[in-house]
Amino acid sequence: MSLRTLALTTALTLAAPFSAAFAAATVGAAAPDFSLTDANGKTQTLSQYKGKTVVLEWNNPGCPFVQKHYSSGNIPKQQADATKDGVIWLTINSGAGGKQGHLDAAGAKAFIVQYQASPTAYLFDGDGKVGHLYGAKTTPHMYVIDAGGTLRYVGGIDSIASADKEDLAKATQYVPLVLAELKDGKPVSVATSEPYGCSVKYGS
Amino acid sequence: MRLSNVAACFFLACFGLGGLAFAAPVSADHIEVELVSENSALVPGHNAWLGLRLKHEPGWHTYWINPGDSGLPTKLSWTLPTGFKADPIAWPTPKRFQLGELYNFGYELDALLPVSISVPAEAAIGSTVQLGVEAKWLVCHEECVPGKANLRIDLPLAAKATPDPAFAAAFAAAHAAQPAKSASKAQARLIGDRVEVALDATDLRRPPTDAFAAQTKVVANAPPTIAERGGKSVLTFAKSDYFTAAPEHFELLLLDGSAKAVLIDAPFAPAPPSSSSSSTP
Repeated sequence: MSLRTLALTTALTLAAPFSAAFAAATVGAAAPDFSLTDANGKTQTLSQYKGKTVVLEWNNPGCPFVQKHYSSGNIPKQQADATKDGVIWLTINSGAGGKQGHLDAAGAKAFIVQYQASPTAYLFDGDGKVGHLYGAKTTPHMYVIDAGGTLRYVGGIDSIASADKEDLAKATQYVPLVLAELKDGKPVSVATSEPYGCSVKYGS
Repeated sequence: MRLSNVAACFFLACFGLGGLAFAAPVSADHIEVELVSENSALVPGHNAWLGLRLKHEPGWHTYWINPGDSGLPTKLSWTLPTGFKADPIAWPTPKRFQLGELYNFGYELDALLPVSISVPAEAAIGSTVQLGVEAKWLVCHEECVPGKANLRIDLPLAAKATPDPAFAAAFAAAHAAQPAKSASKAQARLIGDRVEVALDATDLRRPPTDAFAAQTKVVANAPPTIAERGGKSVLTFAKSDYFTAAPEHFELLLLDGSAKAVLIDAPFAPAPPSSSSSSTP
């Protein structure tokens, strides 16, 4: 077995480490456009929201980190505050069929009702194309795109990596911070952070 | 007897008696945890090894200090008698786990995270002390479950300590899996979107086959490419997406496929005046 591990390691070592599939979207560059179907069966594209600030949130309702931020009301509150301010909030599920957190349209609607969530739309990315395009690795994993279509923030939901609701009070919530700075025309003080959470459950 | 302890804890835990600390293994989802001591007594003025014993369900794992692309390191917060002090976890060499294109570092099956405890010289021989720890972990297969337990151990203070045979093998394995600190030099350089680490020597018996960064936010967690250049091994990593500044010390765990790993410090060379030059001698 250790021989097998060694062989695997060697094989990986020979492969290029700069995985093209994770050539992630870059802060400061144009956010790549995409087209996905939402829980109402409607097609949603990023480009249709040009002129508005857009938040992308990677979601897996079965993930304990996502549950921490939903059952505490943290993400639903951020969604409500942002959308009230005219921000577009797109929640994206890149879980492949049969994996944890993969939802159908009815499941997504029930999830939104359960947590009184208010994203602009809940999008399905079951083949993981958009997740890979953006380099989404964890749930949650957050992206903020400004009105000009430039990616301004990539990273975690907040500053304390834990699955514990008790840590919320001490943590800096990055998305509201970035949204406030963009609104005030200020420079974005935290443009990247390391996301924490469950691995995105991509198909193989 | 051990089995009945497990059953008792499980029973108590089922009734939500939070705040109780368990001097026995605690069964949680997909893992059993226990606070154990290498020796059956503590000696005043000497350091003692305690450890968090992790028995993972096959296929499940917990995380190293750098968990990788997801996950969380196991955390311990101690409640100790006056004058006692706990060091940070002496992390044994972890394994690399791959899930699709995501990489993690951690432990599976039977593992033990050792912690050195300093026992004050004035502790009274003949007395018994209680050492407590709150352990928090994330145990994952493909899915993850966070866990938490309050654990304790009662130990007598004695002039001499003898190993507890129940845990001798677990501690021996955890000590053997401690990476050796390398006296050799290494230099890290940021070149565009890559980080190159040139090794003068490694103290390994064979050329390295893999390397894990002990810090997060420096290099990506995918395995590095390894090449020989001018008699040196050169490891090339993709820069971490979350890199903000080169750390003063960059600790790398070098593996050669054997059980023994080496921890090497690879300080970063000062950034070249004009960045993103990628031609190097």
